[in-house]
Amino acid sequence: MPHDWVKSALRLMNAMAGKTKKVDRVPYFALINEQMLCRVAGVTVKEMLSSPEIYAKAVIGSYEFLEADTIQIPTSYAGPGEALAFAESNDKLDTIRWYDYKPLSIIQGAVCKTEEDIDKLEIPDHSKSSIWKVSTEAANIVNEKTKFPQMFGLGIWSVVQELRGVQAFKDMRKNPELLLKLCEKVYESQLDVFKFWTEKVGFSPMIMLTGYSFNKHMMSFDDAMKFEGQFIKRLQEKTKVPFIFHNCGTSPYFMEACKEIEFAAVNGSHPLDLDYWIKFKESYPNVTIMGANIDVSREMLTGTPQDVEEKVRDNIIALAPGGRYVCSPVCCLPWGVPLGNIMAIPRALEKYGQYPLKIQ
Amino acid sequence: MSEKDNLTNLINVIVDGDEIQASSIAKKALDSGLDYKAILNEGIIKACEEIGQLYEKEEYFLADMLISADALKAAMKVLKPAMEQASEKSPGKILIGTVEGDVHDIGKSLVTSLLQGQGYDVIDLGSEVPPETFAQKALEDNPDIIGLSGLLTVSISKMRETIALLKEKRIDSKIIIGGGVVSKAACVLIGADDCAKDGWEGVKKINRIISSKGGGVV
Repeated sequence: MPHDWVKSALRLMNAMAGKTKKVDRVPYFALINEQMLCRVAGVTVKEMLSSPEIYAKAVIGSYEFLEADTIQIPTSYAGPGEALAFAESNDKLDTIRWYDYKPLSIIQGAVCKTEEDIDKLEIPDHSKSSIWKVSTEAANIVNEKTKFPQMFGLGIWSVVQELRGVQAFKDMRKNPELLLKLCEKVYESQLDVFKFWTEKVGFSPMIMLTGYSFNKHMMSFDDAMKFEGQFIKRLQEKTKVPFIFHNCGTSPYFMEACKEIEFAAVNGSHPLDLDYWIKFKESYPNVTIMGANIDVSREMLTGTPQDVEEKVRDNIIALAPGGRYVCSPVCCLPWGVPLGNIMAIPRALEKYGQYPLKIQ
Repeated sequence: MSEKDNLTNLINVIVDGDEIQASSIAKKALDSGLDYKAILNEGIIKACEEIGQLYEKEEYFLADMLISADALKAAMKVLKPAMEQASEKSPGKILIGTVEGDVHDIGKSLVTSLLQGQGYDVIDLGSEVPPETFAQKALEDNPDIIGLSGLLTVSISKMRETIALLKEKRIDSKIIIGGGVVSKAACVLIGADDCAKDGWEGVKKINRIISSKGGGVV
């Protein structure tokens, strides 16, 4: 039976609004990067990105194969693609790394090695960027074929770290003004790429925001607010779109961040303690939890389909009553995760996730 | 200034991440006739422990650790000639790198700096290191420990491939995997000896392994 994307969109929308009477089951949000697309479509990254048609076909085929309720062009995220755009527009093409079956990346810190590099850093002209051209064209094909509105992705710190590398952390203490100057340029570029995307693809119903600085392993919460949080707030003011806050690190500041910044949803797999997520739901009843503790590098990678099914069931029991819960393994499904474990998620959702919920 | 004051000052400037002062105080201490072993054990190593404690208490974060590690390295550089003259052996040899397909090197850089700052002989292969390079360098240098770092979820499969090759080549160095992506379960699955969720945990585990082999600094 063909995948009903309109039904998926309604399922997601109503679940996020807490309207469980209008939802048949818990939605499934799969994060798929280029690696999974290559695995399902049988093409290399370069082949895929060489043509919007091939790219769109790989995206639709993969998400349908995984029986997900969301569909997204992986490069519609201004993270690595944005770093690539910076490298292109600043004559640093030699810093770009292409892989056959993995997302492209740039050598961390190579674009903004010196203070002068930051001063002279040109904000990319996104209409001339190769990655954004193919991404917007592929997104339009996906939109046309599925009628599923495309989500867009932004992030400040992920790009800062790509451009400045380890020096960004040293700047935090030794030259915070310089670092803020770089953050400001990245912010301006993010806003520009969002406008470009909106112009080419249309309105994004939500923005997936990677807040990678919001993690204890990276920095203090105060530093996260200073070097990323304040820019997120400004992006929200300008874009007027609800944000999903993504952090796939092991010590994220979800609770703390939601006190300071308004998010429609949070997306992460840590802490692994389900009680944290139960408390989160009590503290922020209007914020949708997309994920909780299902982790792609733990039970998804090393467990059995039964382990995954049990994890999904436990998440549903704890978090799905009243809605505002979307099942999602975090982060992107990597190559080594067994197919049986991946497919255990939609199977478990069919089994336990039907509204009204039967399991307690 | 007394010997004790000198060492206390050295600890303080390292913890504060003051590279220039760390180098200067270490030089003054050495010039005043203080034995390099005392400067190492009572100054540099103690500073390293204090940095770790501050990190564990969440008073220090990655940024603080990195600048303190630079100060640690600066002080160590001053001691290096004296140590070489005395034919002082390094506490251990560590081969480290970020696995192929992953360009993230911040955690690895921190581990490298903190280990070098404690006198370890560290061979840093950089990022995007193919399994064959790890194997070749391990055969050439016979390290005590091999550290495989990675941030991306996709790196686990490359770590597995690297470990399989190291075992195929009968390289018996201990293997530690590190980074946000690793877990104890993944560690067992891919055949690593141990794992570390962050740079500081990696340093502590390396120190422990080396100590158990009769070397080390703590």
